[in-house]
Amino acid sequence: MNRSVEYLLRRLGFYALAAWVAITLNFLIPRMMPGDPAQIMFARFKGEMSPAAIAALRETFGITDAPIWQQYFTYLRHLLSGDLGVSVSNFPEPVVSVIATGLSWSIFLAGSALIISFLVGTSLGALAAWRRGGLLDSITPPLLALLGAFPYFWMAMLALFIFGFGLGWFPLWHAYPEGTSPGLNLPFLLGALYHAALPAATMVIASLGGWMLAMRNTMVGILGSDYITYARARGLAPRRVLIRYAARNALLPNITGFGMALGFVLGGALLTEIIFSYPGQGYLLIQAVRAQDYPLMQGLFLTITLAVLGANWLVDIVTLMLDPRTRR
Amino acid sequence: MVSSPRLIKNGSPGRAFSVLCGCLAVGLLMLSLAGCKQNESNVRPGVLTVAQEQQSSWVRNFHPFLPMGVARWGTSAGIYEPLMIFNRMTGEYVPWLATSYAWRGNAEALVFTIRDGVLWSDGEPFTAADVVYTFNLLKENPALDTGGLWAYLSSVEADEEGRVVMVFSRPYSPGLMSLAQLPIVPQHVWSKLEDPITFTNPNPVATGPFTEVLSFESQVYELGRNPRYWKEGYPKVEALRFPAFPTNEQVTLALINGELDWAGSFVPAIDRIYVAKDPEHHGYWFPAVAGSVYLYPSQWVDDFHDGRVRKALSLALDREMINRVAMYNYTRLPEPAGLSDGYAKWRHPDIRPGDGWVHFDPAAASRLLDEAGYRRSGEAGIRVGPDGNPMSYEISVIAGWSDWVRACQVMARNLQAVGIDAKVKAYDFTGWFEKVQRGEFELSIGWADDGPTPYRVFRGIMATETVKPFGENTYVNWHRFGNQEADDLLTHFERTVDFAEQQKIAWRLQEIYIEEAPAIPIFLNPSWGEYNTRRFVGWPTAENPYVRLSTNHPPEPLIVMTRLQPAPVSATAQKGDMQ
Repeated sequence: MNRSVEYLLRRLGFYALAAWVAITLNFLIPRMMPGDPAQIMFARFKGEMSPAAIAALRETFGITDAPIWQQYFTYLRHLLSGDLGVSVSNFPEPVVSVIATGLSWSIFLAGSALIISFLVGTSLGALAAWRRGGLLDSITPPLLALLGAFPYFWMAMLALFIFGFGLGWFPLWHAYPEGTSPGLNLPFLLGALYHAALPAATMVIASLGGWMLAMRNTMVGILGSDYITYARARGLAPRRVLIRYAARNALLPNITGFGMALGFVLGGALLTEIIFSYPGQGYLLIQAVRAQDYPLMQGLFLTITLAVLGANWLVDIVTLMLDPRTRR
Repeated sequence: MVSSPRLIKNGSPGRAFSVLCGCLAVGLLMLSLAGCKQNESNVRPGVLTVAQEQQSSWVRNFHPFLPMGVARWGTSAGIYEPLMIFNRMTGEYVPWLATSYAWRGNAEALVFTIRDGVLWSDGEPFTAADVVYTFNLLKENPALDTGGLWAYLSSVEADEEGRVVMVFSRPYSPGLMSLAQLPIVPQHVWSKLEDPITFTNPNPVATGPFTEVLSFESQVYELGRNPRYWKEGYPKVEALRFPAFPTNEQVTLALINGELDWAGSFVPAIDRIYVAKDPEHHGYWFPAVAGSVYLYPSQWVDDFHDGRVRKALSLALDREMINRVAMYNYTRLPEPAGLSDGYAKWRHPDIRPGDGWVHFDPAAASRLLDEAGYRRSGEAGIRVGPDGNPMSYEISVIAGWSDWVRACQVMARNLQAVGIDAKVKAYDFTGWFEKVQRGEFELSIGWADDGPTPYRVFRGIMATETVKPFGENTYVNWHRFGNQEADDLLTHFERTVDFAEQQKIAWRLQEIYIEEAPAIPIFLNPSWGEYNTRRFVGWPTAENPYVRLSTNHPPEPLIVMTRLQPAPVSATAQKGDMQ
């Protein structure tokens, strides 16, 4: 057990270092971009502003000409207190609250799509390998691989066209029905599920094949190994062999993949959000880029980076539980 | 550099995004072409649905002095009102909170007569004191003075007859538009604010037709009618509704679906995909009054010091093809002086279409280049200048601005045809903007400054005053062209308020422009506007051009909003028949 704690702490130290590097890069990159962000920001005023007005606005936006190390420490101090600055394109809204408008929707949509896709894909993969050459094994993988190989936006638009526009089964845009107010009330919750159904379905279909194939292939390898043969020979229930011994080990690579994907959930699903006019992080990011809103961009990148690191640490813990070798 | 101007190959994020958008556009176009049932809209009668601002979710902000896109569109188009509205179609100032304006001396002071009987939406009377307060608010908070009004104002006061007198620190007649169009805020609310800069103004008190925030959700908000609106019996519209649409393509889809009453977005092949869906109700109007798009030859390149070369560049361009390929034939070709239809009354009476160098004549272009000493040489036939350098230039454009990119590709081919080796290079916006502002480019497509009179257009194109050294950022005159006589004329223009005199100055400026060819007009910018008469009628159209239809130029939409009527019942009955 001590070794496990040591391992986790060591990993944590590594992630802390990675986080620091990411935070620092996040600080440096906008400052190395071509074009002075402040200049670009004021360009939208068509050059009519007087120098006094520009100076006043620079102060409001927190742009200074202080030495870079001083700016860096101010940035770190603000970051520690959860202050990511003011979003220029949504002035005077703080970056934190702008991100909050998209974050929960991204987590809900991309998160549930990921979990469904992972659970279904992995189970199907395990089953397909278990009944190798069976119906499931011969039809689903090529079919899902085919679906996954379609350009995503094309498939999503086709779904929107057929089920949203043509048949009218699903709404064409937005995350919840007009007239309901977000909160714990049934019309809103049901409406939100209804609105998420089609976009989530397209995301699941696009990613299902990957999970399934990865799981199936690892499973096939593991099912051929001696300890499985031994378990079978000992007369263990097939179910038990499948779940406790084969699937548990085959799951490891998929768990790592799941952790990575979980981190990227916070980045939002750019294409889905655009096609289905769904609020979320991905669209916020485009908007920030379009408006040269550096504080918002930095905030979004930081959220994504920290989420990826956090998810990876979780994966480390899960791997530790699943794979005793890491404990040694 | 790769010589082929294929932009899609190099993968910057901006380009990838533009490719993606292109695919989305094509896809949604396909969606719209296929027959489809009309979705029954759940909007209450009397509510007007507008598509404005590309946002995936709304942030509640109704601050009238922040730029468009930061505060919600309704702030300057429905909630707050200015003293007067400049109507680009008629070229006149429409009295609004002021009933008239008068100049004192030669643009030394401006006097507005304030409208009587106007109430703020909370019931307080609107007076000249509110106007005076608003202007002085900007003086005390320079961060709010984004239009730079106090650069030429020295005082704003009310006189004993209740008029507002604005005294200028220097004669400056072009200031009229910015002063007349500043949104006026109530003193009794704003004077109590702690920080008027970071105030998000969630529940505005204003004089406009739609001041009541009925609902504000992240995906849709509604503005209800001001019960105390000063224009008797108006607005006839109950409320404005704003769904959030992240891209143009979504707006197109909603238009086709009949969900929108009013939009101001670019729609490809609009006759086929929008009008044909419901010819009785769907309509659009794209008057070419929103300024011109130019090709700028930067003085950074020695070859472009010669006016003959600049004229030859222009004569080589096939603008009809540019209009067809890049603009879906939505626009018109520019006049010889490059002024859009918005400047009709300023056009020189003796300059006729075909004069000057804004027409397609490659033979004349070649002649001019030969004359200037640029001779074709080598196998490729690229011209070589007197200094021995080949005529090889890069046309800078913004990646993802697909209409401009296509226009540049046509231009490059046109220039190659007369022996100029022109290549298109797409930059992401920031990179492009930095480059042009510093003047360190060869050729670039770009917009021009725009205003109620040609003053700003010509000032930004050929005033020495706006010529900054290369490497220094400047908003106008990226190509660094200055003409002494133009300077004097522009100063003259600032100091006179007499229309006939201003007109004469504008004529002379046009003559200089045609003599010098400082920048090359390519096409006139249309003002995008789409409407649906199923629920509301009275839209401005080419037949009834009382103002621009476009939603993109607040405060002009106020004029539309206070003219619209609910559609007669028969039209609603037809709606039932159609389904």
